[in-house]
Amino acid sequence: MQDIYIEMSVQRAPVSRFELLMDAGSGAQKAGDILIRAFAKTGRYVFIEPMIPAEINPPARTRAALSGVIIRVADFDLMNIGNNTDIILAAHEVVLDRRLDDEEHNPNCRVLLDMGDKKLNEEAYESVCKRVSQLGLSIYPFEVVEEATAIIKSFGGRGKNMYYLGMLSCIYGAPEDVVIQEIKLSFGKKLDETLMSKNVSLFHAGFHYAKENIHFSYEIAGDSHKNGKEKIFIDGNSAVSMGIIDAGIKLISGYPITPASSILHTLASVFSSYGGIVHQAEDEIAAIGTAIGSYFGGVPALTCTSGPGLSLKQEFIGYASAAEIPLIIVDVQRGGPSTGMPTKTEQSDLLAALYGSHGDNTKILISVGDITDCFYAPHLARYLAEKLRLPVFIMSDFQIANSYKVLDKLSVFQMETIEDIPDFIFQHFGLSRLPDHIEMVRTEQADPGTPGKMRRVTGLNTDESGSVNYFSMASQRSHAIRNEKVHHVRRALGKPKLMGREEGDLLVVGWGSARGAIEEAMRFCQQEGLAVSGMCLKIVYPLPLMLKEIFSRFKKVVTVELAYGDEYKIPPLAMFLRSQTLVDVEAMISGATGRPITPRMIRTKVQELLSGCAVR
Amino acid sequence: MAVLSDKSLPENPLTLKDLNTENPRWCPGCGDFGVLMGFKRFLVDEQLPAHMTVNVSGIGCSGRVPFYVNTYGVHAIHGRPIPVALGLALSRPDLNLFVHSGDGDALSIGGNHLIHGINKNFNCNLIIYDNEIYALTKNQSSPTTRKGHPTMTQPKGTFLDPVVPIMFALGLGASFAASTADWLPDHLVNTLKAAYAHKGFSLVHVYQRCPHFDSQNFDTKSSAWLSFLTHEKGIPPDKRFADKAEIIVHDPGNKEQAFKYADSKHTYLGLFYCDPDKPRYDEMLQKRLAETPPRPRSGILDGYKI
Repeated sequence: MQDIYIEMSVQRAPVSRFELLMDAGSGAQKAGDILIRAFAKTGRYVFIEPMIPAEINPPARTRAALSGVIIRVADFDLMNIGNNTDIILAAHEVVLDRRLDDEEHNPNCRVLLDMGDKKLNEEAYESVCKRVSQLGLSIYPFEVVEEATAIIKSFGGRGKNMYYLGMLSCIYGAPEDVVIQEIKLSFGKKLDETLMSKNVSLFHAGFHYAKENIHFSYEIAGDSHKNGKEKIFIDGNSAVSMGIIDAGIKLISGYPITPASSILHTLASVFSSYGGIVHQAEDEIAAIGTAIGSYFGGVPALTCTSGPGLSLKQEFIGYASAAEIPLIIVDVQRGGPSTGMPTKTEQSDLLAALYGSHGDNTKILISVGDITDCFYAPHLARYLAEKLRLPVFIMSDFQIANSYKVLDKLSVFQMETIEDIPDFIFQHFGLSRLPDHIEMVRTEQADPGTPGKMRRVTGLNTDESGSVNYFSMASQRSHAIRNEKVHHVRRALGKPKLMGREEGDLLVVGWGSARGAIEEAMRFCQQEGLAVSGMCLKIVYPLPLMLKEIFSRFKKVVTVELAYGDEYKIPPLAMFLRSQTLVDVEAMISGATGRPITPRMIRTKVQELLSGCAVR
Repeated sequence: MAVLSDKSLPENPLTLKDLNTENPRWCPGCGDFGVLMGFKRFLVDEQLPAHMTVNVSGIGCSGRVPFYVNTYGVHAIHGRPIPVALGLALSRPDLNLFVHSGDGDALSIGGNHLIHGINKNFNCNLIIYDNEIYALTKNQSSPTTRKGHPTMTQPKGTFLDPVVPIMFALGLGASFAASTADWLPDHLVNTLKAAYAHKGFSLVHVYQRCPHFDSQNFDTKSSAWLSFLTHEKGIPPDKRFADKAEIIVHDPGNKEQAFKYADSKHTYLGLFYCDPDKPRYDEMLQKRLAETPPRPRSGILDGYKI
């Protein structure tokens, strides 16, 4: 869609994507945040993806310092960050050079390059400008005007982000007064009047510089929030946090880990107002242990983590399954072991979540593909965890966690007990209510404090009375009952929503954050007349019983996933689907670039496949 | 904490029989029997309602204790009973919490949690069953195994000097640190009473016999190798099975002296240190909850409105 526009000075486009590239710590995300709020307030839809280095403050003017924001703005509801960039604004040549390596620019992308640092390395500047031209892109060198430079000097070099914010606001038609209001809200009471007015002056200077000197602009129609419903503007991790409150969860226990920490941060300042406790544990294992302790006490609790933390929690996850203690785990996925790629997105924890821990253990995996999922996943997770008394995962990822979106204000349900969960949430995740009675390994499941029902739980095998019992049939019975709990969910799952027709040449399957890109790609491919349909799983484990039958109606089934795969290595989702359906599912897209899957990547691959090219 | 039933007029007084469940599966002569009996006697003496008591344990011979007491119980995973107990302490401050952990469980695999349990000083009672060996896994060196003692993993003798649990506790700022022994029933019960009366993280270190793997670790026939620390604010001595033990008056407010006793080659039983004023993490969080004006959940998304 965004590829088709006519070259002229004012472009009335339905959608455009731009990016601001700076050194880490220079406030690129702050500027981006202000701008998207202004867009949202003026009736536009936005999707933002922060680019953050793993380090706090890597040396400036190095490739490692690249920090920025990618913003997609449109006059229609956006589901993903889109394909390529129309405008890049770069603070200096190094970050620009680094970012061009990602090849995410449009063929006619415009590059605004701040020449302020040119004297530091003229050669490098020239070489980057040459690179831009060789790529066929247009370069617009500029310098920060003198009056602004003086203010920036007085700020010790800071404040350029406000100048760039001004330029981008002008180019994208964000009204000055709205942006200024957002600047003021953003800095809040932290800044005194003088400092605030200096920031506003920088913004003005940038705005006017662009007005006078940049002779192109993108006009995305405002007032496109047409359905008359109240709108909210929220990111994935905040939506999960608010969902946790609405679901009636009373304790969150975590250990700092990117990108899950922001759930703890968000709740730390508000949870006590809603009767909740935020506990920062001494390690990942303690964090999950404390959630288990709370839930054994009958008080709904949750732990949040990312990949390496998930590895550490595995023993307790298996324990909760065997001891029949409800448990909710949020896994915000990112790349790699140890520090890994904490600020890049991946969907590579699927098998660790599914098959991790020891021995046979049972669990449910809910995945989140958009903000609405993020908000309601805690409700469903709590229902399933308490109803079945087993661990339930909410699988998110860096991209979903950090992407903001404008959407209709969601309904809140203020759950007290799991009986309060509305039908709407079951429909949203595509399953029906579970039977009233679910058999447990141990008949008695009273909470402490209940007289006459004292009971002990253990990882040892027990019989129905809760007594330790190692006899062969007793262990077999426990396994069967625990697995039957999962089978209840299997049977409750309806047919996953198909994007497109019920049969065809190709079915593209994804999960979690891939949904937006699959949806957009499917619309495009179907307009082109290709017999392709899409599917994005919301409950990833267990899978619905009719999945194999659905797969059989397509000549080929492929996955789109952000996890590494190659000729010999089958990536997690493809491996899992093959094992569960015995259908020859292959990965169409399975990368570990850390960058989101784009609609165009899917589109191109689908076109290749359906014109007879081999997978990959 | 739970309201204790009126001891003078118990309606349905808790009895030892009420606390029975199944027969313990420990070896004959195991010190765990003594601790279990002492623990039950303590529950009865204090008349702690069984339904308001939760025993949390890790793995090891001592890990089975919750199974042998008819209260609520969580037999958790190796080394991690303290975080589980913290979850209960934060969410259910009305319950009485006891953590049963061995020397390997508390001081090796669970060392990190012990550090932070002590530092958080949340209200629970930790009983460290110190038999100076990994017994359930069949005779490996533990952090408290005495140097030179042969085990399956260090057959020519354990390499290192043992960790001293009370030193560890005092060094980390424990608000309550006491030692007792499985073969001194009255002292054990009185130690548990003092631990329970202290609000905070009460650490009770129990010297415990393991006749199966190390019948020599404690000479219960003689008692000249141990002394009782006592004080009006402390724990009374118990000479019934330790007639040669010396009795020393020690103020549990004197931390410097406590360190000296803990660091000595001689063995001291009793209350080393107690600080009733150390702030409690659980209390802070609950206070914060109580003091924060509640907000209706209907408005949780209002802050995100455009």
